[in-house]
Amino acid sequence: MTHDEIQALILSAIELTNQSREDLEQVPVSPDTALFGAQGHLDSMGLVALLIDIEDMLQDQDIHISLSDERAMSAANSPFKNVASLVAHISHLLERE
Amino acid sequence: MQHILVTGASRGLGLSIVQHLLAKGNVVIGCARSKGELKHENYHHFEADVANEEQVQELFIKIRKTFKYIDVLINNAGVARMNAFALTPFKNMRETIDVNYAGTFMCSQKAISLLRKSANPRIINMSTVAVPMNLQGEAAYAASKSAVESLTRIIAKELSSFNITCNAIGPSPIATDLIRGVSDDKIARLVEQQSIQKMAQPEDVLNLVDFFIQPQSKMITGQVIYLGGIS
Repeated sequence: MTHDEIQALILSAIELTNQSREDLEQVPVSPDTALFGAQGHLDSMGLVALLIDIEDMLQDQDIHISLSDERAMSAANSPFKNVASLVAHISHLLERE
Repeated sequence: MQHILVTGASRGLGLSIVQHLLAKGNVVIGCARSKGELKHENYHHFEADVANEEQVQELFIKIRKTFKYIDVLINNAGVARMNAFALTPFKNMRETIDVNYAGTFMCSQKAISLLRKSANPRIINMSTVAVPMNLQGEAAYAASKSAVESLTRIIAKELSSFNITCNAIGPSPIATDLIRGVSDDKIARLVEQQSIQKMAQPEDVLNLVDFFIQPQSKMITGQVIYLGGIS
């Protein structure tokens, strides 16, 4: 998958997540969106829900990777900090496959 | 009709659970290290070792492709080897933790996305009265199940936003393969410590399975229920 394809998939997953969130809790569907941690729009369970949706979408394309990461809750270098870091994380995992 | 995944499905209590759930009209997906010998139109068997991360991953990929979702995960797969703490080989302790705790951990984690698609998603784990009774000779087994109990309570909190409940059943002694090597005297002494001084039957566990699965149990999570009046 290319960088743009991964980014598009993440943005689709955010749209899906927004369907089950209140109006005031909508996550901006943008490549610049902060996801988790400082200024992040998601709490830990919101993040889990988003990551499960992304894993599901990847599995629909027969791509079976786990997005779990020991740095998940790290304030400094979580791969889930924002859309850009998540794109890089998934891209890295796909390269290792 | 629900889709129910039972690990450790080929014998003992797991097989009883499978047969019970099939009789109630459910689709049952069983997994075990051995081949499944049960033949039933609604029974689907997969060979997998729950202590093996790759095999668990493969198992859930197959289940997702075939069934799309599951309503209930019953983490029944388990091993028990009684031995004095001082004489327990490290390898046996490791295997006990890997199957009983790590297996439950991995299957529960992989099941989240399939359970989210259910209206009444449930995880049921298996513990034992050996945990509250701190039974001698069960250092590895009881500790592994103690970890399962902690996992049960934490999953209950973390997955409540997905409406997934997570509970555990703690059977008192039942005549299954798991206690085959335990002497009659020892079993009798254990049963004497229970409020209800009788051996349990598989039906007593099935009753709790039914209780946790039913839609009315949606507010019951993070609980460990022991048989026989142990607390």
